[in-house]
Amino acid sequence: MLAVYQKELAIYFRSPIAYFVVAVFLLGTGYFFLYNIFLTGETAMAGTFLSMGILMVTLAPLISMRLLAGEYSAGTAELLLSLPLPPWQIVVGKYLGAVTILLLMLSGTLIDLVPLYLFGTPETTTIFAGYLGFVLLGMACLAVGELFSALTHSQIVAALITAAVLLAFWFVGHLQSFQASRALRGLVGYLSFSFHFADFIQGLVRTEAMVFFLVVSAIALTLTAAFLEWRR
Amino acid sequence: MSAPSAVIILESVSKRYGSATVIDDVSFTVGRGEIVGFLGPNGAGKTTTMRMIAGYTAATSGRVLVAGYDMATDHVEAARHIGYLPERPPLYDALDVAGYLRFVAKVKGVRRAAIAAELERVMAACGLEAVFRREIFKLSKGYRQRLGLAQALLASPDVLLLDEPTAGLDPAQIQEAREVIRAAGRDCAVLLSTHILAEVTLVCRRVAIINHGRLIAMDSPNGLERAVEQTNRVTLEVTAPAEALRERLLAVDGVSGVEIRTAVGDGSRLTAECRVEASGDVESALARAVAGRWELHRLERQQPTLENIFLQYVKAAPGRDGAA
Repeated sequence: MLAVYQKELAIYFRSPIAYFVVAVFLLGTGYFFLYNIFLTGETAMAGTFLSMGILMVTLAPLISMRLLAGEYSAGTAELLLSLPLPPWQIVVGKYLGAVTILLLMLSGTLIDLVPLYLFGTPETTTIFAGYLGFVLLGMACLAVGELFSALTHSQIVAALITAAVLLAFWFVGHLQSFQASRALRGLVGYLSFSFHFADFIQGLVRTEAMVFFLVVSAIALTLTAAFLEWRR
Repeated sequence: MSAPSAVIILESVSKRYGSATVIDDVSFTVGRGEIVGFLGPNGAGKTTTMRMIAGYTAATSGRVLVAGYDMATDHVEAARHIGYLPERPPLYDALDVAGYLRFVAKVKGVRRAAIAAELERVMAACGLEAVFRREIFKLSKGYRQRLGLAQALLASPDVLLLDEPTAGLDPAQIQEAREVIRAAGRDCAVLLSTHILAEVTLVCRRVAIINHGRLIAMDSPNGLERAVEQTNRVTLEVTAPAEALRERLLAVDGVSGVEIRTAVGDGSRLTAECRVEASGDVESALARAVAGRWELHRLERQQPTLENIFLQYVKAAPGRDGAA
């Protein structure tokens, strides 16, 4: 699994897409940060985090799309799936590679904290919760992305389907206002990525929200591994 | 059922995709120290069979055993004993040659301390030293093919599955690749799929011919030649009236059929192809039958080349939907 992880990282570092995604993310985050901090004068990251979440949902598919679809289209799946590796090791090794890119991307935003601490007194715990929420959200997005990347040979199709599904999960909470039944309102609220993410932004580290993102990741990864085994 | 040294064993293996049967009840074995050529027209099921042995895809029914492991249940364990070069070399363009080989070596369980030596060994065998540090996307087709072969040789597998390993190589490289395969074949079981029939004669001890997903023959190249020699062909070029020639030739002892057509470039000359029994000296009888009456330009017995044998088998085998 370690070998798969290292290979995955090596390929990410040599692919223009990864640099593009990181650059767009950091540019976007920088803009939102400037807007939220200097125009509104708040020394909090909440607004920036919310925008980062939406950016994540749209950019994660570009990181995850090549995970397996790229292997199919390059013909390397034939090697990878006939090496002495159980499917779950392939899936997790690749996933950790993508999560590492996410963490690197996120570490680039730490520079925003410098002016925040220089010119104000932000709440460290809230910022920490926001970062934790962002990592969990990103992990769930990448796991869902890997699942759809396993289902198709085309990276573009994988990215588009992933983006559609992730955006649906992001906005599904807004359906609450249209639901008469309490149970349905609860359900769409529970499925909403943005609702759970909002908890973290406000500084609330709730077990329910943490478990939600981890369970979504686990389900997506398990389905991916099961699919790889099944397609044999 | 199989020799004790058999490392690849297929027992009544079938592969179906929906209602389409791609591989139909195929059984054969390959022993250690044996190179078996795998022949068949495009779409016959060679690649699918290779993939089932490699563990990339699973058989729908029947059993595939590699190095004693059942591919249905132990494919990860079995994979440690397999080196596989698919039809399209499975290369990561973004990596460099050394990085790629190191990745495969690690996954195949080569010890960290032994990786450098193992890389050197396969790179020397496949002539890759000059491109050690080069990124794979910059490699020529020949180098890509050789790199594919090199990764298959890593960790000295017991089973080597090579799907057209010499495709894209120049004649000198083909020679080298054959040497590598021959050397590998001394210690492991090699299944070699190819379109180059001469390669099979040069490298393989046995040949398996597959068509429409069925194994239609498996023997040594000589054995296959003997099998088709039963109905050999003798070709004559004669200036004669067609019908009279046909009657005359059919009257000769040992001739079972005659096919007559106009020789290329000359309207008066006819080419007669006689199906004859392999034993006996039919040529001289045929010569006597023709020579006194008409002008005989050429008479030759066609040696059964592997091409002919292959074509004969493939033509004779019934199609999946044919009743023959």
